[in-house]
Amino acid sequence: MDIGLLSFIIFLPLVVSFILLILPVDMKVTRNIAFATTVVVFLLSLSIFFQFRLTDYMQFREFHPWITSYGIYYSLGVDGFSMIILMLITTLIPLGYLFLWKTKKAKGYWASMLLIQTGVTGALLSLDLVLFYFFWESMLLPVFMIIGIYGTGNRIFSTLKITIYTIMGSLFMLVSILYLGVAFYNEFGVWSFQLSDLVQITILSNLQRTLLFFGFMIAFAIKIPIFPFHTWLMQTYSNSPTGGVFILSAIMAKLGIYGIVRFVLPLFPHQYVEFAPYFVGLGVFGLIYFGIAALMQQNIKRMFAYSSASHLAFITAGIFSLNAYGMTGAAFLIVAHAMATGGLFLLVGNLEYYLGIRTISGLGGIAKKAPFLTVAFALMLLCIVGLPGTNGFVSELLIILGLFQYNHYVGVISALTVLVAASFMFWLFQRAILVKTNNDISELKDLDKKEIFGIFGLGAVIIAMGIYPHWFLYKIEPTIQHYLLDILKVGVAS
Amino acid sequence: MKYDDIIYLLPLISVGTGAVVLMLLSPIKSFNISKLSWVALFFLILSFITNALNFGEVYSVTPFAHLFSSMFVIDTFSGYFTSIIIAGGIVTVLVGTHYFDKSDMLRGEIFSLLLFSVFGMILLVETKELFSSFIALEIASISIYILVGFQKNYTRRVEGSFRYLILGSMASIMFLLGIVLIYAGTKSTNIIEISNYLASHKSQDMTLVITGGMLILITFLFKIAAFPFQNWSMDVYDGAPLPITAFMASTFKVAIFGFILRFILVDFHELKNAWSDILFYVAILTMLYGSFLAVFQTSLKRMLAASSIVHTGYLLIAFVSINSIGESAATSIIFYLIAYFLSSMGAFGMLSYIASDDHLRVTYEDFRGFSHIRPYMAAMMSIFMLSLAGIPSTIGFIGKFYIFVGAIESGYTLLAVIGILATFISVYYYFKLIALMYFYPSSEMTNVPPLKGIPPLIIAVMAVLIIWGGVGNTLISYFPGIDFLIDTAKFAYQSLFIG
Repeated sequence: MDIGLLSFIIFLPLVVSFILLILPVDMKVTRNIAFATTVVVFLLSLSIFFQFRLTDYMQFREFHPWITSYGIYYSLGVDGFSMIILMLITTLIPLGYLFLWKTKKAKGYWASMLLIQTGVTGALLSLDLVLFYFFWESMLLPVFMIIGIYGTGNRIFSTLKITIYTIMGSLFMLVSILYLGVAFYNEFGVWSFQLSDLVQITILSNLQRTLLFFGFMIAFAIKIPIFPFHTWLMQTYSNSPTGGVFILSAIMAKLGIYGIVRFVLPLFPHQYVEFAPYFVGLGVFGLIYFGIAALMQQNIKRMFAYSSASHLAFITAGIFSLNAYGMTGAAFLIVAHAMATGGLFLLVGNLEYYLGIRTISGLGGIAKKAPFLTVAFALMLLCIVGLPGTNGFVSELLIILGLFQYNHYVGVISALTVLVAASFMFWLFQRAILVKTNNDISELKDLDKKEIFGIFGLGAVIIAMGIYPHWFLYKIEPTIQHYLLDILKVGVAS
Repeated sequence: MKYDDIIYLLPLISVGTGAVVLMLLSPIKSFNISKLSWVALFFLILSFITNALNFGEVYSVTPFAHLFSSMFVIDTFSGYFTSIIIAGGIVTVLVGTHYFDKSDMLRGEIFSLLLFSVFGMILLVETKELFSSFIALEIASISIYILVGFQKNYTRRVEGSFRYLILGSMASIMFLLGIVLIYAGTKSTNIIEISNYLASHKSQDMTLVITGGMLILITFLFKIAAFPFQNWSMDVYDGAPLPITAFMASTFKVAIFGFILRFILVDFHELKNAWSDILFYVAILTMLYGSFLAVFQTSLKRMLAASSIVHTGYLLIAFVSINSIGESAATSIIFYLIAYFLSSMGAFGMLSYIASDDHLRVTYEDFRGFSHIRPYMAAMMSIFMLSLAGIPSTIGFIGKFYIFVGAIESGYTLLAVIGILATFISVYYYFKLIALMYFYPSSEMTNVPPLKGIPPLIIAVMAVLIIWGGVGNTLISYFPGIDFLIDTAKFAYQSLFIG
């Protein structure tokens, strides 16, 4: 039986993780092998990137029967949109590992990190809704373990909270998936849970579709999180170990957005357009609300958690803006934001490692002590605020253009908010990093070689994507055009 | 009379012989628990093999039709359930030996009783006549009444046994009365003949039959511990020795469901509709009340007992949808039963293996930090919990998937939504145990039995089966996976209609 490239990408971490768990190897060996695995996966995904053809079709398809009596297939594929997220995941994870290198965690930590990678790539590449649900739910378990075992503070409560919260969302989605499957069976007389089949259903009434639409949206809204489903976020982020926050913010939240574009958009195009104003509204509201919440935080990790939520709300607004600018921008910001936020959380994790958990006013004077860390920090912040020359600029500009096209007022409001957020970020940078205070930071060490390599590797990608966005954009354009023209039928104005 | 038919009776015969032999051997001093358990295993495995010989195709025979006047039928359906029941017996013996060995009050007769009850259960899934089903049910039940109260020095055991005996006898009386009323209405106790009679006398007043049918329904609901007849199960499950609880909660329940399924799939016309309306509400209340009970338990044994009520509720969903989508609903029940059997037998079995050296270790708190002491056992326990909660990549998910798909397909979306709600609540009480085992530093636990010998091995096999049943056979072709299980369940269903 042949195993395709995508299957290999998905299951290699899982297999390695099990082998590592069973073999009596110590933490260091586990870590090194885990890192090597992610590098191999990165190289594999790189080969996908280069072989990728410029069409809107699904490529690298894999199709095997799984549960035939219900028409459930092991069905994988990649298009422009999932391809860039795949690249993002496979690039970010090994770079992140370099940062987590020094954490003195047991080998279960690294095994769980590998399992998470299997879960997220599996969910990303599935084209069968049951298979998608399968991975979507499975990736929760290693997250549960990582926060529960290796977290800090009130970690057990937080991990139960996020687990129960997200399972609640996914169960709504499960009912919707089953309902769609039954509807397809009633209409066509055969079972199928393939995305390409389920989009053909015509017998559902508008009300049914609207309910199903929200069934899916709840699951994704909790994961992203969209206001008002964000209440798990703060506690989880502050109690997670650095690796957990890194995965949650940089990768899992993006999968929520991906889920909306991949499944909700083609399955319920009418509802997608109909409810778009509300979600744009929620997105812009979230942008402002989480921005203000971020302003008020004393703890640097909590502050970034809110600012990350703020940007995710912005991305949500982008994907619902119903035009090519907004959607391409959102796709691009998914990447840019994942890199910058991921990098920032890793750097904050580094500060926490040496200095313990501190408030912003408890830091300061870091620039002199740790110049590399300061430069890296600045780079990531610049990307977050969207300075020209970084990929953050390109994506935020595109989304703002998209929102302008959608509605002038919404465009103005979001543009202003992004500007204010930028100035705030610099203020934070000044207080936490630059300014000299009397706080004792003698424990702090600058980045070591691995970390420098990791963070500046990330920085190089950020700048490359900022200066030559076209290199990356042209791969996703056909897909986005296809979504807008063929599925939503809203036309493209670019 | 064909003597070839005897081959179909071999599983039953070997279990019955085993029970008698064990009864005779148990007073002999030199036969200790461990030797007797090998004897019991020998007969059970013999029975399993003779049962497996018939397996694979759709078949249905009525052995010695004259002698037994067609009361028993042996088909793929009964073969399927027989193998689950015998597997349950084997696991109980294996896990139980360790437990019984440690408590000096339990003596050799326990295996004899166990085999008698297995005998009754096999008979129960093979019968298609009401009186013989009553006898089979009583053989199984009475053996279990005794098993529950076998350690007579513990008041909890005796109390549980007595409560079960009294309430169970009440249920049996209802059952008998129901049979009598049905006989009065239809002049027969054979379920096929009853169905034919009802079909040919559509205009006749059927009050007697419906009343009788309701009484039988009550007995069912009592035996499977559905709302509002669930309260006994908490105390009885809690009072019984752990291996016996495991046996009751998984194996006995499966046997009863097997019998009801055979019964309910026969077309009883008016009776069927009356049942299905009641079952709709019973299913909802069972799920909700069971969840409510389970959330507040501090003892794991009681939590598992309460969660077994919730699982009864899930199964009742499929019973409701059987009217409109016969085959797929029945298949989903058969599939769910094996999923439930594996998960709950595994969980109870693991619990009784761990608790056997120290009879107090049964609350959540006792498992604090367990993963640091016995990582593999904790991993297996987690697999059972995940499967009971229906998390993807376990067989429990696939089982729930079928049941909910069936409910939506037959138009009972509300039932599916409530089922999902109960699943959601269940995440709390199952994950609580996983959290306790993994997220706390190891506490001082003494006398945790080591991970060696046959009982942990058989539990590990069940854990692997659960994962395999949930992940399936995409990667390794030609190896039986989920599709195989579903096909088997379908064959079992089809065999009901060829006799």
